[in-house]
Amino acid sequence: MSIDTLPRAVRHTPHRPPGRRWRSRLDVKAMPYTLVSPYFILFAAFGLFPLAFTLYYSLYDYDLAGTTEWAGLENYTKLLADEDFWNAVVNTVGMFFLATVPQLLLALFLANALNKRLRLRLAIRMSVLLPLVTSVVAVAVVFTQLYARDWGLVNWILGWFGVDALNWRAERIPSWIAIATMVDWRWTGYNAIIFLAGMQTIPKDLYEAAAIDGASRRRQFWQITLPMLRPTMIFVVLNSTIGGLTLFSEPTTFYNGNVDGGSQGQFQTVAMFIVKQGFREFDYGYAAAAAWLLFLLILIGAFVNFMFVRRIGGTK
Amino acid sequence: MMIRKRRGGLAAASALAAAALAAASCSSGGGTASSSAPASSAAAEPVTIRVQTFGGGSNFGYKNAITKWNAEHKDIQIKEEHLTDQFEQQYWPQMIQWLQAGNGAGDVVGIDEGGMGLAKAHPEWWADLKEYGLDSRQGDFPAWKWENGLTADGKLFGLGTDIGGMSICYRTDLFKKAGLPTDREKVTALWPSWDAFMKVGQQFQGKVKDSKFADGTNTLYQVVLYQEAAKNGNVTYFDKENNLIVDKNPAVKTAFDFATKMSQQGLTAKLRNFTDEWAAGTQKGSFATLGCPSWMLGVVSGNAGDKGKGQWDVAGVPGGGGNWGGSWLAVPKQSKNPKEAAMVADYLTNAQTEASIFTDFGNMPSNTKAQQDAAVQGAKNEFFNDAPIGEIFAKSAETLQPVFLGVKHAQVKNAIESVIQGMDDGSVGYDKAWKQLVDDAVKAAG
Amino acid sequence: MTNWSPTLITRVMLALAVVLSAFPLYWMLVIASRTNSDAVSVPPPFLPGGNLGENIVAVLNNEDAHFLLGLTNSFIVASVVTVSVVIISTLAGFSFASLNFKGRNVLLLAVLLTMAVPLQQMGVVPLYRLMVSLEWTGTLKAVILPYLLNGFGVFLMTQYTRQAVPMELVEAARVDGAATLRIWWSVVLPAVRPGMAVLGINTFMLMWNDFMWPLIVLTPDNPTVQIAITSLNARFSTNYTLIFAGTALSIIPLIAVFVAFGRQIVGGLMEGAVKA
Repeated sequence: MSIDTLPRAVRHTPHRPPGRRWRSRLDVKAMPYTLVSPYFILFAAFGLFPLAFTLYYSLYDYDLAGTTEWAGLENYTKLLADEDFWNAVVNTVGMFFLATVPQLLLALFLANALNKRLRLRLAIRMSVLLPLVTSVVAVAVVFTQLYARDWGLVNWILGWFGVDALNWRAERIPSWIAIATMVDWRWTGYNAIIFLAGMQTIPKDLYEAAAIDGASRRRQFWQITLPMLRPTMIFVVLNSTIGGLTLFSEPTTFYNGNVDGGSQGQFQTVAMFIVKQGFREFDYGYAAAAAWLLFLLILIGAFVNFMFVRRIGGTK
Repeated sequence: MMIRKRRGGLAAASALAAAALAAASCSSGGGTASSSAPASSAAAEPVTIRVQTFGGGSNFGYKNAITKWNAEHKDIQIKEEHLTDQFEQQYWPQMIQWLQAGNGAGDVVGIDEGGMGLAKAHPEWWADLKEYGLDSRQGDFPAWKWENGLTADGKLFGLGTDIGGMSICYRTDLFKKAGLPTDREKVTALWPSWDAFMKVGQQFQGKVKDSKFADGTNTLYQVVLYQEAAKNGNVTYFDKENNLIVDKNPAVKTAFDFATKMSQQGLTAKLRNFTDEWAAGTQKGSFATLGCPSWMLGVVSGNAGDKGKGQWDVAGVPGGGGNWGGSWLAVPKQSKNPKEAAMVADYLTNAQTEASIFTDFGNMPSNTKAQQDAAVQGAKNEFFNDAPIGEIFAKSAETLQPVFLGVKHAQVKNAIESVIQGMDDGSVGYDKAWKQLVDDAVKAAG
Repeated sequence: MTNWSPTLITRVMLALAVVLSAFPLYWMLVIASRTNSDAVSVPPPFLPGGNLGENIVAVLNNEDAHFLLGLTNSFIVASVVTVSVVIISTLAGFSFASLNFKGRNVLLLAVLLTMAVPLQQMGVVPLYRLMVSLEWTGTLKAVILPYLLNGFGVFLMTQYTRQAVPMELVEAARVDGAATLRIWWSVVLPAVRPGMAVLGINTFMLMWNDFMWPLIVLTPDNPTVQIAITSLNARFSTNYTLIFAGTALSIIPLIAVFVAFGRQIVGGLMEGAVKA
């Protein structure tokens, strides 16, 4: 059946030119691929290429003097024995926990509070989102001043309680706390809003039924809200995992834009370690190998967290 | 209606994207256009020569000299970019990165003595200043300062700016508070040796609680290290064949032991030099003394600001002379205007400019003609209670022993200072510090 | 929405959250509006002073800081990347969600896998070497290109399109003879706009705050705003008022946009979060 034998159909879809059918079949067959192709082409250029070449670079030994030598797996074996690398791993994981655990708990309770009937609802929601729309480096600069040893507000307040001035940038755990507060300040409100959105999709009759059964609010929260939030939780936790394990801006700014992360690397993260090796000491191979290990760390972190969240609130 | 409105939004979004893309290509295109303008067309539009420096305070002391040049040369304008206070930790690694990438470095860049070993080993980074007739400057500099500006293959790449010399800067108001003399002659007489210096420190700390005697361990460690190096073949971390000798050179251990004692006796404010808290500490009177090579005077006065005028003074250093620091100016090969850059480097290191920098800010000239200038020899520094800095530093210039620094000196220096700082601020135990210092030095030397 | 009314503890907690969220920004203004010696005095000052205008002018007049250039550059970078990511993701998301084609699930899985790769951290070395050999270091191109794609964006738009565009709608349009692109334009786009908004806001914020890669590949004379603040911090180490005035400047444009579109942003974020 050709198109011109069907005038009615033509009238139905007015500008159908000859050869339309062939084109239409091509459209249906090829267009889906065309639509996804920009992503995959760009991924090949800026995803696969860097990954493959990171692997390639990691097998060579580069020196400040500009010499390049085949190193095989030496960079990896050196890294695994490198105290500084493990120090960075411990710092990264430590700061991740120190930041993420209170952050998610706070966000959860904040979301729960925001889910109540409130005046100024929009204003409050906007206020808790405010930190997200600030510049990360700018805020880190402000926090760094707040944590200054000799004139910082935090030490001044601690002084009221008889605590001696802490050297936040020299002591390991205090430096982690300082950085964790920067991260939390920025992300708690955002995660609360995401949780809130998730909470609002939970059908109300679930709560009503529970209330009839005599479940307390607290019990409702643990028995209904938390399990129903699981998909949101997975999203939030995976996001925090990737963000936390690649932490760079806050600790770098905390030490004047320096990737050493403290005189003894007290708060040097793996991302900072990579930049230091690659762009301060110009050992590209070593940096590339560390990048692969960071990737591994993220995969492990994402997997562990995913499994953990799945267990929250009694799995089904 | 709804759909049309939506399309309008989308159209606006894509228009925005197009505009942004256009702007992106403009701005990058614009950047290359202006910097790739041929030097010969200088008459049409002034050539801008970017001079990159480090150091903090008044750093290289170029402010007045640049103002003067810019007023006299409409066709070549100098723009100083003070990148950071920290040489080894930030300036130098970033500079190496830019030199290797072929983009980012200024037309004229300052290099501290700690970077010269590496700079010499990379002739490909630099323009040869001989091509611009600057080999004529050889007579202006002491032989060691001149030779350090030559690459391994004999190319002239660096012209000397300043030399260190040595003094102790001290706060007269805090000394008064501690019941110590404030007159610089008497202060110098207080500490003929470093042991005496430490005794003064204990005396000071006995009276003053809210300020510390010294800034930290680092500036004094440097002073002692360079003094001791002169007694040990004029080497510090590397011998002249570039072998790491941190664990073998007694100079390093002596300086380290001194720093340890200062720290253990609680005489330091635990601040690392060239950090912001250290700089602010100069303002606030967190510490009463620091090791002051000539160029440190400008750092102190710049950091302390006008309010600090008259609070500070300069005394002689225990153990006599010594040298710490001193820099060179070089023209990277990537400069689009090497000829003009060479002119600027020439100007900033000539006798007249170096002399005026000394009288204005305190950086002791390496240019021998400037050193002999009567204005330099009789110079007093207003900020430091009119201290006769000409007299103080001229002496050290005469007796100055050039110290050999290895190719990776800056990297090793940073590693070692970090350990010493860590020991002072408590993150490295005193008993473990020496071992870690050696280990980290080995690692940094790669 | 539940009908529970807030308890006192809830109210106090919310008030605290609001105060803590705003405090560092308030603090920024306090220091930015004072003098340098105030910034390092103990006890710290708590009220703004009168030097804000002066300090901001000082930042803008400071040629070394390249502050306006930094703001402009960040705006360009963030806009280009946002538009690219949103368009690429919307197209791909439509294809994955509404069209049938061979290998769809495999390709979607590939996208999911790419999401776990922190490309900008992992690929720094080769990307940097690439930019050096192209002589693109120091240019905005070097910052923009590696970010033009975003696996998360594709995933988000796939999920969103699935929810927001019923298959029947697409099929009906197809029966009417509409070509695929035409369906995307007139059926899908209007329906997924909230999702695009969320993705757009996220991407813009991410790019505005990007730090590590620009720190490596840009130079201080052509910075993004984060690099400009970092240089300001490095160059004027003791001049806290100047640094804080700079940080305040870098934030003001964002806050202005946020206040103007707060309702849409909050709403969009929440809607996007649920549907994705």
